[in-house]
Amino acid sequence: MARFEFRLPDIGEGLAEAEVAKWLVSVGDRVSEDQPVVEMMTDKATVELPAPGAGLVVEQRAAEGDVIKTGAVLYVLETDGQIGVTAPAAPDTHAPPPAVAMSVASTGVLAPPAVRKLARELSVDLTLVKGSGPGGRISAEDVQRHATASAPASAPAAQTAVGGRHTRLRGVQKRMAETMALSARTIPHVTGFHEVDAAGFVELASHLRRAAEGGERRFPFDTLLVRAASLALKQHPIFNSSLDEGAGEIVTHDDINIGVATATREGLIVPVVKKADTLELEALASEVDRVTTAAREGKSVLVDLQGGTFTISNTGAWHGGFGTSLIRPPEVAIVAFGKVEERAVVRDGQVVARPIMPMSVTFDHRVIDGEQGLKFARTLRGLIEDPGELEP
Amino acid sequence: MVAGDQSDPADVLILGGGPAGYVCALRAAQNGRAVTLVERARVGGVCLTEGCIPSKHLAVFAAAKSSAERFASAGMPALAGGRDLGAFQTRRSAAIDGLVKGVAGLLAAAGVNVVQGNAWFVGRTRVCVATGEESVRYLDFKDVVIATGSCAVPMPGLPFDAERVVEPSRALEWTSGPRTLLVAGDDYVSLELGVAFARLGSRVVIATRGDRLLPDFDADISQAAERGAGSAGVEVALARDAASIASGFERVIVSAGHAPNVGDLHLNAAGLSSATGPLVVDDHLRVERHVYAIGDVTGAPLLAHRAMAQGRVAGDILGGKAAAMDVHAVPRVVFAEPEFAAVGPSEADAREAGVEVVIGRFPLAALGRAVIESSTSGFAKLVFARESGVIVAAHLAGPRATELIAEMALAIEMGATSEDLALTMHAHPTFAESTTEAAEIALGIPIHVRAPKR
Repeated sequence: MARFEFRLPDIGEGLAEAEVAKWLVSVGDRVSEDQPVVEMMTDKATVELPAPGAGLVVEQRAAEGDVIKTGAVLYVLETDGQIGVTAPAAPDTHAPPPAVAMSVASTGVLAPPAVRKLARELSVDLTLVKGSGPGGRISAEDVQRHATASAPASAPAAQTAVGGRHTRLRGVQKRMAETMALSARTIPHVTGFHEVDAAGFVELASHLRRAAEGGERRFPFDTLLVRAASLALKQHPIFNSSLDEGAGEIVTHDDINIGVATATREGLIVPVVKKADTLELEALASEVDRVTTAAREGKSVLVDLQGGTFTISNTGAWHGGFGTSLIRPPEVAIVAFGKVEERAVVRDGQVVARPIMPMSVTFDHRVIDGEQGLKFARTLRGLIEDPGELEP
Repeated sequence: MVAGDQSDPADVLILGGGPAGYVCALRAAQNGRAVTLVERARVGGVCLTEGCIPSKHLAVFAAAKSSAERFASAGMPALAGGRDLGAFQTRRSAAIDGLVKGVAGLLAAAGVNVVQGNAWFVGRTRVCVATGEESVRYLDFKDVVIATGSCAVPMPGLPFDAERVVEPSRALEWTSGPRTLLVAGDDYVSLELGVAFARLGSRVVIATRGDRLLPDFDADISQAAERGAGSAGVEVALARDAASIASGFERVIVSAGHAPNVGDLHLNAAGLSSATGPLVVDDHLRVERHVYAIGDVTGAPLLAHRAMAQGRVAGDILGGKAAAMDVHAVPRVVFAEPEFAAVGPSEADAREAGVEVVIGRFPLAALGRAVIESSTSGFAKLVFARESGVIVAAHLAGPRATELIAEMALAIEMGATSEDLALTMHAHPTFAESTTEAAEIALGIPIHVRAPKR
């Protein structure tokens, strides 16, 4: 028997802390190796942390709702055997800090007292602020900038004396607030609306869906949309790029990684299908199914939430029509699809009913101009209206 | 007269008028709170009336004598100086009275209601104050700040007797220095008192429990302290049981640490833990929602300037400000032979914490000003993080070290690097030049000492 202190591992790049969302076991419970023990909520997602080995949970060092620093002990396991090899990569155990503060050396945060005070006043976590000074020194301006970047413009108004329930902005929702505010503030959005005849597309989707029924894997409707988008992106690589303002460069990505906006209990999560253009349709379907299901169940692994180069948002299930979307920085475009419905359209001089899918193509006008935007939309529209290419 | 169950409201109630309590009172009042402060003796607390101020008064008095003596070989006439401290004590009392009056005046001007007496909790929001032999008052508070300080504890085998074996504060009241004095302790208080009385003519032995003086300082400072004490005429007996040799001394001072003053507070009546240890606070100095604690009662380090910093922070928090105890640099000073000062961790602690360090250590023997003052045994030792060059700690030994440390504290708070320090011009000829030189040594580009081989 040995005591194993489970420390919060580094569960994502640059994440210094995470919130205990839910304990899945209690003190006194036996756990087996890889059994999920606790759900941690980060700014990006909710992540389940599995037990590093079999044993008895003898201590929980944090309550639900507590925010834990990476490397801090989360719970203690009395283990049956030796744990070590299978333990998740936890940072080295540091000696307890000496009685006298050693903050700069230990936290790496370089900020003079007045700036630290400002950060407190603006509720800015200095470990998240990128210092613009030499050696990463954080200035008052850096803190101000960070505060404006992460707070919605209406924040002060919300603090006025109007009564109501106050809910702390946290986790996924906080992340959404920050990303969307950054998007709206920095990106000149342009949206084009397109009515797409989806008769063939819907037929193909239904066919593939039925074919998958009874099999092991589902065939999500979004699969074909991801497919169409990835083929269009191949022809219009500028839509699969990022603007690096610091370097003054447009970076065109080698991989086509498509984010699929997914509504979850916690809020909007965008899991990413990596190298979507390289996957066979069946593999693509299973990947779309895997990442979106995990997101909906709050079980996403961080790597599936990172690295997106383009996003699609299918609002059809919620009867969405035309709508504008906010681009997810550092991406430069997003496409939203609405619900396919019969509409009266003119074909060969006749008014006929056709299944129409509303499609909104939104792009960053710093990177993409109107002509490029329309050409991309035309390609995408073509792929949907004549879906033969979607099926190999 | 015994008052009934009648009580007075107190918006903010502060228990204790020492450096933590009175500073908190002034700041909270500044922030618009109505403050009541209960003090059992005189405002100013241990620091002002029996600690820092009178002890430094004695140390500076003794150092002045020793400074003059350094110039004996240059023809400075010798001081008569016996062990009579009568005149000094008169001056000392007057200085304290003046400072206490000053604090009382500040509190009055700020509208702080000062209540004289002993206070203890009788409920979650109520204290009882014994304001006289038979009179008590009840005060109902919204927020309470516990700032009751600490008191000296005796050493096993050497109980205080208020006469021959005393705590440090008592020794400061002596009207003449003893012929022979044993100081039992290894902390800065022991060292300061030992050196002061030795300079004033007593034969002094400092007996330490462990194998070094100032064990919570950098090892280099400990070494310099031992050497300096010796040059001031103090015999340092390391790892010696004081109790076993105490009988041979006219007087004995025991400095064996402090215990928080919590025992008489009836903390359990307020629903708080009645443990006897220091009160545990978060970085908002809260023990509980409306209960704050500041100063020595919160445990080490027992320093007046740290208590005052806590007082300021608590006063701001009580005023609804987004304050927090967020101090990176806590300077510590020792008025001995010579002066010592430190801010940040010792070299050993920094290394143990995993910081890769570069040391810049400049000997005062190479400093013009130190030669003038015949005090060349000290040094400036600066500790920098290797990669970033950011200053981590400073350990100073030498005249005025207690003043120079302020610049080092600012450097740490500002995240200054060895280059920042090396490029800041320091006036010549001053002791402050030593830190510039130490920074240059860390950078491998010293001027007044030979460069270490790289």
